Amino acid sequence: MTNTIKFVLLLLGLSFTWVSLSGERGPVIPQGKGEVCVADTDFMRRNHMDLLVHQGDDTVIRGLREGPFSMADCVDCHVRHDDQGKPIRIDAEGEFCSTCHEYVAVSIDCFTCHAAVPDAKEPGSAHNNDHESDKNHRHRLAEQP
Amino acid sequence: MSDLAPDPVSCMDADFEHNTKANAARRRFLQRIGVMGVSALTASSLPMNVSRGGSLLAADIGSSAASDEPVSGVSSERRWGLLIDTSKCSAGCDACVRGCHEEHGIGVSGNDHTDAQWIRKIDLEDNDSGETMSLPVMCQHCETAPCVDVCPTGASFKRADGVVLVNKHTCIGCRYCMLACPYKARSYIHEPVTDQLSRAPRGKGTVESCTLCVHRIDDGQNLQPACAVACRKDAHSAIVFGDLNNPDSEISKSIREHDAKQVRADLQLNTAVRYTGL
Repeated sequence: MTNTIKFVLLLLGLSFTWVSLSGERGPVIPQGKGEVCVADTDFMRRNHMDLLVHQGDDTVIRGLREGPFSMADCVDCHVRHDDQGKPIRIDAEGEFCSTCHEYVAVSIDCFTCHAAVPDAKEPGSAHNNDHESDKNHRHRLAEQP
Repeated sequence: MSDLAPDPVSCMDADFEHNTKANAARRRFLQRIGVMGVSALTASSLPMNVSRGGSLLAADIGSSAASDEPVSGVSSERRWGLLIDTSKCSAGCDACVRGCHEEHGIGVSGNDHTDAQWIRKIDLEDNDSGETMSLPVMCQHCETAPCVDVCPTGASFKRADGVVLVNKHTCIGCRYCMLACPYKARSYIHEPVTDQLSRAPRGKGTVESCTLCVHRIDDGQNLQPACAVACRKDAHSAIVFGDLNNPDSEISKSIREHDAKQVRADLQLNTAVRYTGL
């Protein structure tokens, strides 16, 4: 009887140690490009969906495409590339969006329409030049205290 | 006796006068409250409106870089349109269609029943005279667009600068707009789409049509839609893009000079796409 209690206690102790040692709490999210995001990580975690919806409306209805919270910029920073240098869809398993979304069991509908990888580079095209200016804009934002 | 008895008429007058005075006082009071309320609202909302054109959330997280930028965006001072010279448009040429497909990442599966058609190239022949004509027909960007009227969710809308668009965030794919459009300008996306371009999001279950290349318009630098560029590259230059509100723009001058027509002008939709030589 005493042995059984000791064994149970031992099991409990071991399992507690195992849980606390292996303790990655929450998903491991791939790191994005650069030092900082367009806003604090905590803020982005809670509010990215509202920011995206808001900027979506700004873009579609009011033609404002310069804002810092564009889907294309998110994809550009957070996309990862495979061994051949080909971009992996940002909503693929284990990638930036899906890691967290799978953990919290929220499906993403963005990428049935939006591009999940950055546009292929066309040298000298106007769009890439704009993209550079977007990047500068983002860095300016990031420098704000 | 008659002196003592109250005069019913004057009594009513007195009541009426009293009520009117009370009402007037009440009205003044409410007006004052209203003015105070409006000024309070204005005072509280003004800094946010000034701080950033349309984007209140940017102000919330304290991005002062955004507040320095001038407020931009679409304005009703301009109305974008196209002028198509049918005499320069040749039968069998589909450069504009290909240019459009390339610009918006529209793939062609070969199934004509379901493939998206933002521009339809139409060849006409007069049975009597044998005269032929070829012309591209795309969304005509009507001033009073039937597709906007019928949309149950407000997804089909007209921007301030006259460009008629589908807001795919709110489109439920009911295709009522496709029925309402007299130009057959809209397409429904039947199959899942992959490999979209970041400038042209498009996906299954939504309706789409010519956007006059709004992403280019909004950029402000590359101010010509892809179809016009492709047409010029093919040495036809049949498509002219410009501001219909500006009487000195090339498009407005050409419209006046050549007496450009609308397709189905009888519908009185005041289209932004005009044709010469019809």
